[in-house]
Amino acid sequence: MTPPIAAYDLGRIPYREALEFQRRAVSARASGAASDAIYFAEHEPVLTVGRAGKASSLRANPALLRASGVEVIPVERGGDITYHGPGQIIAYPIVALSGLPAGRDLHRYLRDLEEVLIGTLDGYGIRASRRPPHTGVWVGDRKVAAIGVAVRRWVTLHGFALNVDPDLTHFDWIHPCGIRDLGVTSMRALLGAAPPRAEILARLREAFARVWDRPVEETPGRPAEREWPAPEEIHA
Amino acid sequence: MPVTIVVPQLGESVVEGTVGKWLKKEGDPIAKDEPIVEIITDKINIELPAPSAGTLGRITIPEGTVAQVGQELGQILAPGESMPQGGGTKPALAAAPPPPSPRPFAPAPSGGAGAPAPAQARAGSAVAERVNGEEQRVSPAVRKLLKEHNLDVARIRGSGMGGRVTREDVLNHIEGSRVAASSGAYAPASAQAPQPMKTVPVPAFAQAGSREEDVQQATNVRKKIAENMLRSRHLAAHCSTWDDVDMTELVALRGRLKERVKATYGVNVTYMPFIAKAVVRALKEYPVLNASMTENGEIHFKRYYNIGIAVHRDSGLIVPVLHDADKKTLLQIAQEIEDLGNRARGDKLQLNDIQGGTFTITNAGMFGATASTPIINYPEVGVLGVHLIQERAVVRDHRIVIRHMMTLVLSFDHRLVDGTPAVQFLHRVKELLEDPESWLLDSI
Repeated sequence: MTPPIAAYDLGRIPYREALEFQRRAVSARASGAASDAIYFAEHEPVLTVGRAGKASSLRANPALLRASGVEVIPVERGGDITYHGPGQIIAYPIVALSGLPAGRDLHRYLRDLEEVLIGTLDGYGIRASRRPPHTGVWVGDRKVAAIGVAVRRWVTLHGFALNVDPDLTHFDWIHPCGIRDLGVTSMRALLGAAPPRAEILARLREAFARVWDRPVEETPGRPAEREWPAPEEIHA
Repeated sequence: MPVTIVVPQLGESVVEGTVGKWLKKEGDPIAKDEPIVEIITDKINIELPAPSAGTLGRITIPEGTVAQVGQELGQILAPGESMPQGGGTKPALAAAPPPPSPRPFAPAPSGGAGAPAPAQARAGSAVAERVNGEEQRVSPAVRKLLKEHNLDVARIRGSGMGGRVTREDVLNHIEGSRVAASSGAYAPASAQAPQPMKTVPVPAFAQAGSREEDVQQATNVRKKIAENMLRSRHLAAHCSTWDDVDMTELVALRGRLKERVKATYGVNVTYMPFIAKAVVRALKEYPVLNASMTENGEIHFKRYYNIGIAVHRDSGLIVPVLHDADKKTLLQIAQEIEDLGNRARGDKLQLNDIQGGTFTITNAGMFGATASTPIINYPEVGVLGVHLIQERAVVRDHRIVIRHMMTLVLSFDHRLVDGTPAVQFLHRVKELLEDPESWLLDSI
């Protein structure tokens, strides 16, 4: 009696579209119109600011960012500012907490996401770890994956961003998550070459299945969005 | 009956969250399971679904306030129901809007707010109890608990808004009665009241007079110190926690500033101004460390930050107070600490200079101590011991490296301060000291 979790790859889509999509997906999951799913994605350069966001965490000139088409978008997840861009694997698990081993334990959910990432990286010989009190996954003093989550009607949204091969100089625009003395890194920086995206996705699915003790099934295309109800108003 | 919205269990390690945003206003209609309020924990932001349908009757905890797991956030009224306003025995009072909610909500079903509603009271929804002739509102959960234990609300001290008795107060009261009953010695009332200090006859020294001794009369200063120390030891439940801080960044920063500040302003920049600033920031995040408890159990959370800085004098310890440390720049604090120290050693302190402290810092490192367990400056509830900064071998990234390390010790009054906030507070101070650049910009 462990219902499978569908894993979709939305590919490279604009952040705002993914945000809109997630919000509808959460409403659909909460109302029972959709089942648990993990949506993988990749975005064009964008900065998102969580609820703990501080203006001081943005280092770059906002006008310059705007001029180069980089938006700064406030979102409902926890945490401070973060960067998304090409070369990252973004995962948005839209799952009901009640169906996970963690249940409604928010910290445990975060630790589970970290566990998925640590396990996946371990498969590539990267010894990543947690770094309390900071959330995220680290290799030494450098963050290789950022985590920020929101929960709505006990359904999760947002998730993690794993740095596979992003332009690390883009992180200079911000103090990632408001943390100043620690840096960022990527799988490419650590391994010398970036593994293929499809292979990492497969390993992430395996890791999710292991940590959550649920089958995670690769599912082509997109879910049946037409049957989803309209999302509730979200206050970001 | 109004349904209470509480902060749910959000995980084993989650004890509190900040109320981020009320998604509904008082008086707004609410569907069951509709998100109504947002709670922010460190990395997760959660929108709480409504436990029932109705109208948002009252917002108890405003936005931006920290709420504990289990605490009431607000109340939802069933359709047609109005917020209970104390049973209606005092029409004049009841006619005025209740203080926590300036806006009137849905009108009472019959007769308006001023009309007595005895039927409602009998139905159990007008949760009013009388305390010393005054009406006191309690939540349905509390009412149930009182009934279960056959307790009179008037005998319980309320810690909620306007002295309101919360579920926790009742549980504490029950627990307190149990302790009293099992020990047999204390009545609950006297357990809280401090006993006058007893004088104990000093035992005769075994060899008094038989060996060479110098006998001095204790100075008034010494007697006063002895009295204060002993009073604190008697009345506060001392407990200490410690942590090692990597001061390397701060050592470098201070090294860069020292000469320039001395040349420009004539002030010696020690580590104390940085530590005081970090402490104030952490106190704001953990207000219980800046609180005091009175004899009758009132807890005063102070919104001013007066930091005592223990100073050694040959005549004896004294703790001058850096008033309103949160409103002063680092440079001002450096100047003032130097000035207070000089005046303390020259016995030129005014009464005001040693009064009104809310938290104390003591530096035993000045004389080389690497750790100590300071005594709380009662009635404050926390004292931070700072110590020698020394190069130590520590492990970073699987390598042994040399870093400037310092041990911080926090002694706290365990009556009021639980272990968790104490440890978190200390950890926050450590974080701030380890990364001074992250916060100095907005505090210089």
